[in-house]
Amino acid sequence: MKTTSMSAPEMNASSKIILPTSEAFVTVRELKKQFDVSKPWLERTIERAPKQFLKAVDGVTFDIRKGETFALVGESGSGKSTVARMVVGLLPVSGGEVMVDGISMTATADSAAREKLRRRIQMIFQDPYASLNPRWRVSDIIAEPIKAFNLLSSPKDITDRVGELLTLVGLSPLDGVKYPHQFSGGQRQRVAIARALASDAEFIVCDEPTSALDVSVQAQILNLMRDLQDKMGLTYLFISHNLAVVRHMASTIGVMYLGRLAEVSPAKEMFRAPRHPYTRMLLDAVPDLGMTGRARTPVQGEIPSPINPPSGCTFHPRCPLVNDRCRAENPLPIAGVACHAVEEGRIGEMQSRIRA
Amino acid sequence: MTQPVLSVRNLQVEFVTRRGILRAIDGVSFDIAPGEVLGVVGESGAGKSLTGTAIIGLIDPPGRIAGGEVLLQGKRIDNLDKESLRKIRGKRIGMIFQDPLTSLNPLFKVSEQLVETIQTHSDMNGSQARQRAIDLLTEVGIPAPEKRIDGYPHEFSGGMRQRVVIALALAAEPELIIADEPTTALDVSVQAQIITLLKKLCRERGTAVMLVTHDMGVIAETADRVAVMYAGRIAEIGPVREVVQHARHPYAKGLMGAIPTLESASERLVQIPGSMPRLTAIPAGCAFNPRCGEVFARCHAERPLPIRVGQSEVACWLYDKGKEAAA
Repeated sequence: MKTTSMSAPEMNASSKIILPTSEAFVTVRELKKQFDVSKPWLERTIERAPKQFLKAVDGVTFDIRKGETFALVGESGSGKSTVARMVVGLLPVSGGEVMVDGISMTATADSAAREKLRRRIQMIFQDPYASLNPRWRVSDIIAEPIKAFNLLSSPKDITDRVGELLTLVGLSPLDGVKYPHQFSGGQRQRVAIARALASDAEFIVCDEPTSALDVSVQAQILNLMRDLQDKMGLTYLFISHNLAVVRHMASTIGVMYLGRLAEVSPAKEMFRAPRHPYTRMLLDAVPDLGMTGRARTPVQGEIPSPINPPSGCTFHPRCPLVNDRCRAENPLPIAGVACHAVEEGRIGEMQSRIRA
Repeated sequence: MTQPVLSVRNLQVEFVTRRGILRAIDGVSFDIAPGEVLGVVGESGAGKSLTGTAIIGLIDPPGRIAGGEVLLQGKRIDNLDKESLRKIRGKRIGMIFQDPLTSLNPLFKVSEQLVETIQTHSDMNGSQARQRAIDLLTEVGIPAPEKRIDGYPHEFSGGMRQRVVIALALAAEPELIIADEPTTALDVSVQAQIITLLKKLCRERGTAVMLVTHDMGVIAETADRVAVMYAGRIAEIGPVREVVQHARHPYAKGLMGAIPTLESASERLVQIPGSMPRLTAIPAGCAFNPRCGEVFARCHAERPLPIRVGQSEVACWLYDKGKEAAA
């Protein structure tokens, strides 16, 4: 009815407004997090030491389209989990902005709109032994978001919905009366997924969801997550240190190093032709099934302390292509890669060991 | 053929509990030749770490070795008394554990721990032992070992700490090293360094290694042979190429397919239904039969024994066709 009364220019205008939101569902701009790691006040005063800050996340920018999986990979201490926590709002941001479906999660202004948005964002944690309350029955755990957001009121509707969710994640509705300790690790992670879906979430942040699981169970959970994405059009922010898992799940990958994004590329591109030297090093370091008896040249060194990061490009002490500019100047991302060597064309094509 | 460094024959480990006797390891047999790396893989609870613990005689009650033999250079060590076993540990069998922070004493300097180990197993004096400790640290790739040796474990990063643990394990020039998940707590780039180091050192010294891990990628790159364990039994054992690329046991096949790899971004991972049985409820016959896609009557009735197929040994009735035809 409405469409018939709408004139042609009006329709154009409305589609123009919708377009950017369907383009990027989640927008993260210049996200920053500082932790105060100073010594106690008295000690600092006596020693005349300045305050000390740890830059856990230092200007991270990326977009996630609807129905897409964006993966953040990196070694421990690279800040990937901190990004995840800031995106869902578990940690306050020190700077930058997170927008989900056009609503700012970080600005104080639209708090009413943000409350509505909360329901649509959920998180799955790494350790399913720690993320479920051991004294609650599984049905209560899954029903909690439904009750918290007042989605259903009658107890019968809630029970039905919980049963439906349990079936959806491959458990039986009869499992609802059990306690978390009666389940194996994989089954617990299924319960955690059911809880995340209970509030009809559209955007799910998964922080290493399978790292605590055995490989055969990991395969079950990864397959389940992909099936649910296909069925319900979910958008994932997927955090992992396992590049093989990420290759299996993600459509776009961001590689983090010491709080900054070294490279953001479509998954296929990244595995076929990694551009940043750090990405190349990571890909080369992953032990792989097809690599029996392969001789490798491991990269020396470890991730430095974020309290006192190296000057310029933070990767320069480990980079084979380092020059004076890398030591002095922090590279800005150009076409998804933050590297002077790539920008100046000093880097050759990597003969990737992966057949794409 | 040279004598194997380690032979395990029909090893059985049991736990006596109120609910009866639980058999955690049931009839495990394998050999490790000098200079060979045997990978032991399996999911949590498969008994891989326990096998390592049983070999070095560190099983605490209520657990006990209920049967079988462990032979080091052809001599039984599983029936030795505590004192003689203690002399073998560290001296002839070195150990590397998963978490390098818990396997080093936080209250002692690295130098003290290394010197103590060296002096326990040799008759060097203090300064000789210290020099030996510095040489060891150089060998495992710690920069400026003369300075770092007087640091405490917390002053080292995870990768550096694991290097110290490897130096400790190598201190007495053991014939066998049991490495239990040595790289699981480390990042990939550091993991690659540690694997390369371990492999190089063992090749140079001819040390045999039993590498226990759940990471097939690590095994594929490091091991010469691999044993796949399931519910306390060996499902398949053979050369690493054979097992990784042409696994025969349905469990080993499923396990290989379940691992996401960089090589192939297949649409779906192979999925083994269910999970490993609890020790209280290991099914009769083949322990894998409730999850197996190719199960038949005999699997429920009889427990399969290892059958030679190609270069591997597989404990699965699917490969016993010759016998069935003959019977």
